Amino acid sequence: MRRGGPGRRFWTDRRAVAGLMILLLEVILVLLLPVLFGMEPNVTDQTAGFWAPPSAAHWLGTDDVGRDVLARLICGGQVSLLVGFCAAAISLGVGVPLGLLAGWKQGKWEYWIMRLADVFQSFPSIVLVLCLVSLVGASAWNIVAVIGLLGWTGIARLVYANTLTVREREYVLAARALGGRWTTILRRNVLPNAVGPVWAVLPLRVGRAILSESSLSFLGVGIRTPQASWGSLIQYATNTAVFVGRPWIWVPPAVCIVVTVVSLQWVGDGLRNALDPRFYTGNKA
Amino acid sequence: MKKQSAALLLMLALALPLGGCASQPAEEGPKEEVTAERVVQYGLSNPWDSLMPYNSPSGSNYSRIIYDKIYDRLAYVHADGTVTARAAQSWESVEDGCGIVFHLNPDCAFHDGTPVTAEHWVETIALLTDENCPALGRSAFSVLTGTDENGVATGTEELGVKAVDEHTLQFTFKTPTIPEEFLLDKNREYYVLPTHLLEGVDPAELMEQDLWAAPVGSGPCEFVSEVTGNSLTLKANEDYQLGAPGFDTLVITVMDKSSLLTALIAGDLDYYAFGGSVSADNAPTATEAGFTVSKSEAPNTFYELMLNCQTLSDARIRRAVEYALDKELLCEQSTGGYGEVTSTSILPTCESYPGPGETTRNVELSMDLLEEAGYDGETYTLACTSNRSGLAALMQQQLAEAGIQTTIETVDSATLFSGMSDGLYDMAIASHTPSALPLWFVESRFSAENNIFHVDDLSPYLTGIDAIRTETDQEARKALVAQLDGLLAEERPFIPLWFGTALHVESNTVTGIDYDASSFSNENVWEWEKQ
Amino acid sequence: MIHYIRKRLLTAVPVFFGITLLVFFCLELVPANITDLGGEEGGTAGNQAVMEERLGLDRPVVERYLIWLGGLFHGDLGDSWQTGRPVSAMIAQRVGPSLILTGTGVVLAILLAIPLGAAAAWRPRSVWDKLASVCSMVSFGMPGFLLSLAGVYVFSVVLRWLPSARMYATGTSGTVGDLIYHLILPAGVVCVSSMGELVRQTRSACLEALGEDYIRTARAKGLTERQVMRHALRSSLLPVLTTVLSHIPHIIGGSVVVEQIFGWPGMGSLLFSAINSRDFGIVMGVTVVIALTVLGTNLVLDLLYGLVDPRVRREEVGR
Repeated sequence: MRRGGPGRRFWTDRRAVAGLMILLLEVILVLLLPVLFGMEPNVTDQTAGFWAPPSAAHWLGTDDVGRDVLARLICGGQVSLLVGFCAAAISLGVGVPLGLLAGWKQGKWEYWIMRLADVFQSFPSIVLVLCLVSLVGASAWNIVAVIGLLGWTGIARLVYANTLTVREREYVLAARALGGRWTTILRRNVLPNAVGPVWAVLPLRVGRAILSESSLSFLGVGIRTPQASWGSLIQYATNTAVFVGRPWIWVPPAVCIVVTVVSLQWVGDGLRNALDPRFYTGNKA
Repeated sequence: MKKQSAALLLMLALALPLGGCASQPAEEGPKEEVTAERVVQYGLSNPWDSLMPYNSPSGSNYSRIIYDKIYDRLAYVHADGTVTARAAQSWESVEDGCGIVFHLNPDCAFHDGTPVTAEHWVETIALLTDENCPALGRSAFSVLTGTDENGVATGTEELGVKAVDEHTLQFTFKTPTIPEEFLLDKNREYYVLPTHLLEGVDPAELMEQDLWAAPVGSGPCEFVSEVTGNSLTLKANEDYQLGAPGFDTLVITVMDKSSLLTALIAGDLDYYAFGGSVSADNAPTATEAGFTVSKSEAPNTFYELMLNCQTLSDARIRRAVEYALDKELLCEQSTGGYGEVTSTSILPTCESYPGPGETTRNVELSMDLLEEAGYDGETYTLACTSNRSGLAALMQQQLAEAGIQTTIETVDSATLFSGMSDGLYDMAIASHTPSALPLWFVESRFSAENNIFHVDDLSPYLTGIDAIRTETDQEARKALVAQLDGLLAEERPFIPLWFGTALHVESNTVTGIDYDASSFSNENVWEWEKQ
Repeated sequence: MIHYIRKRLLTAVPVFFGITLLVFFCLELVPANITDLGGEEGGTAGNQAVMEERLGLDRPVVERYLIWLGGLFHGDLGDSWQTGRPVSAMIAQRVGPSLILTGTGVVLAILLAIPLGAAAAWRPRSVWDKLASVCSMVSFGMPGFLLSLAGVYVFSVVLRWLPSARMYATGTSGTVGDLIYHLILPAGVVCVSSMGELVRQTRSACLEALGEDYIRTARAKGLTERQVMRHALRSSLLPVLTTVLSHIPHIIGGSVVVEQIFGWPGMGSLLFSAINSRDFGIVMGVTVVIALTVLGTNLVLDLLYGLVDPRVRREEVGR
């Protein structure tokens, strides 16, 4: 069995570290490349024309409006990653406090928060998404908010379940007996222990949010033009001529999504193994 | 183990309903084994509304093309603007042009065998124009005497439809009307309903009748079954007056737009609406798969940039927008070279066509106009549907080159039009199916009820429209049309962009299809022949 | 036990109300409603008033909500705003196909994912483990529409093995064989897209179990690998099934994207087209049906847990 704290355990997990590196690299690339090369994802190159095949000037050709696909791929990465991470952050931001409150306060709080979670979970999310997007418009931030707000229930339930166990632990009972303010106890003693397992599921959330955005694009309510996202770039594949004849348009964004999601999975697995020492990793001699 | 037994119970609970459902359709489905049946598999990208033709909230072509199969219309409209016999064999103008007499085909019959008479037409229109009848789209009847501007019978005047004899029908109009123009404009909205099955029905309850769940019409196809919004099974009307369709069954299935062509290539469809239309981009794919791609004879889409004349209140700014746009490039992007830019909504095939007008881009002029009008750099919203987002992005760039700032709102078509009429957006890209009439576009958009461009003072347009409508002399009319078009060019409440011409993938399995006419919401199914 | 059942039932009531409130007022806020359709065809002036009166849209929102809710209590799901026909009839047409498609896909996914996940946990870094990773890679990383498009292109267009659309071949409707033939592609897509999560779940649940003391004891006692795995797999079934059950809204709600592409007459495409054509009568009816089913399943699940494990019961009541 591995020894050492969670941090140590994480850093010895080769796959998790590789995943983290890939993600970091991606973030750096999508942030730096546009600045370094002065990429203009929204500008039509009149000389290249529409649907130009890959060339020295446009490595991945141009799209239906004559924009450079590579530039759109990289700048679309910013949007996709932003949607993924921010949506997960919103789910976290809403789910953790509500889960904590429900688990700590119990009684009425618990009842209504859990019922609210029930409402969201038994509601066909497509209705909510399509309604909300048609209501507030399909800007990147709105998509982030909608996807994020739909994902809070899972996190809230997890935090709630953990809080229930943590609040009965000796150190919490002791703190309560000493008459500490409940907010302080919650912040100092309960939060760190109840939220731990959430970190392990968070990367998966990020991946799912990125994928959700691409499905929304298919249904016509995704990121709006002229902004691009990986999801909206894959969208070109619905055009048969592009799917068959111009794979350079849709394969790269699809690969990007797969790589990102898989790296996130690896990081998530690594985090879980690190946070839960009992976990059998199969590395045992 | 308790956990295990719980798991097993759950498994069972999950599997039972599934198994039950899986075996269900096999028992329910019709079991007739017809091997030599000729089935035409027809694809459609959007679902239709109700099967009652006057209960269609969208009034979309997807609904009309369905009604066209089940119900009969007076005439058949060809792509070139000519009109040939359908329920009516011939027609003539009477009463100094204010009336049209239709000689109905005596062979017409409803699917229940009852012959169609002129009385059926009269009763249909009387029923729908009844003020208590919740009929939709009845403004189509507002051209008849005895109705108000919404097509509701006033009761004070006799309704302008009467049966001269069993097979002679006469319409009386508020203004002189040329029969062919009436048919071009309104044929797709005039259907004959089986009023003999609706005897004693309260007009207020017309839409709640069970008849519309299994409708009876007199069209070339008979209703068999429907899965609402997904598929419709029809069978050929062997007794159709123009001849029996060359197939036994027509199955119409709703599929995503992106799968229509692949389904056709894979052999899962024989044809898809409208007219197997395909983008220039996808045409080579179809050709490679062994299909013939043909070009439409006449343009069948009209693209416009709708403007909000309240927020773009200065005509100079509106004209600046037009000059800032490179219509040629936009048209190339949108139609792949199968379009013709225009500065008027009137089709070149129209007799009063005023000429193409000025369509070249002029950024300097645009900037001058902006400066003159004191444009303060305000940002306008440009709405479009998601399939036109590329076009919108290109427009945005072109407008920015002249200094006009825009943000793009990608919305669905319903939101786009309601947003325009509520004044939420400043500009919107829209397309329509044109007809060869000079007023096909303007008439319905410059009225008090539907002032979608938010024009401050409608009166000059209304006078112009009225003058054109009542003028029967071709030359005088042409002058009037040119005059109205001049006013529109000066004021630019909307910007005409181009007329697009469709490419059709021809079916390898069904012959006799009039691909071009399909865009005009009618299909000659009685001439189709499944191989 | 009766007390427990009653308590569980009572909690479902506010949830149900919450759902009706949420769907009704959400739809109320949508900017364009059914009376705004028809703009593309140049004018709806006459229609608007007629429709508003027929649907009672001119009445206050609260009144309309109460009327609709009253109907629900009498078992009336309401009528389609478009055709005026009962929503329940339309749902009845769509439930079967939806269950067949998504049900088959998910059951297939379970049947494939559990053995694969277990094998991957049993022999980490083996071929099985690699296969499991590839599987979850495709499942998590590929959007459903791309999988569908690729499937149609390869199997229908190039190989011409499978049909690309519809539930039955036209004209010969009704045979089970025909249904299965048409089901392979869409159900395959549903299977692949839900498999990743299940493989992961099984794998980690098995791994976790293999780390438990009793398994180590069993190993130490010299049980064969097969017996050890049986123990591990058994304890992993419950979390996997819980995952499956949490997907029930999707199973009933259908997979919108897959149904759209394959022209499958399921609930997902009904819901989607109803939203697009602003037929909120259908949207509300379908939402209520989905919500009720989920609530029902949750209830049955809770009761089953309570039945099997008395501790759950006591804990709930004690609180």
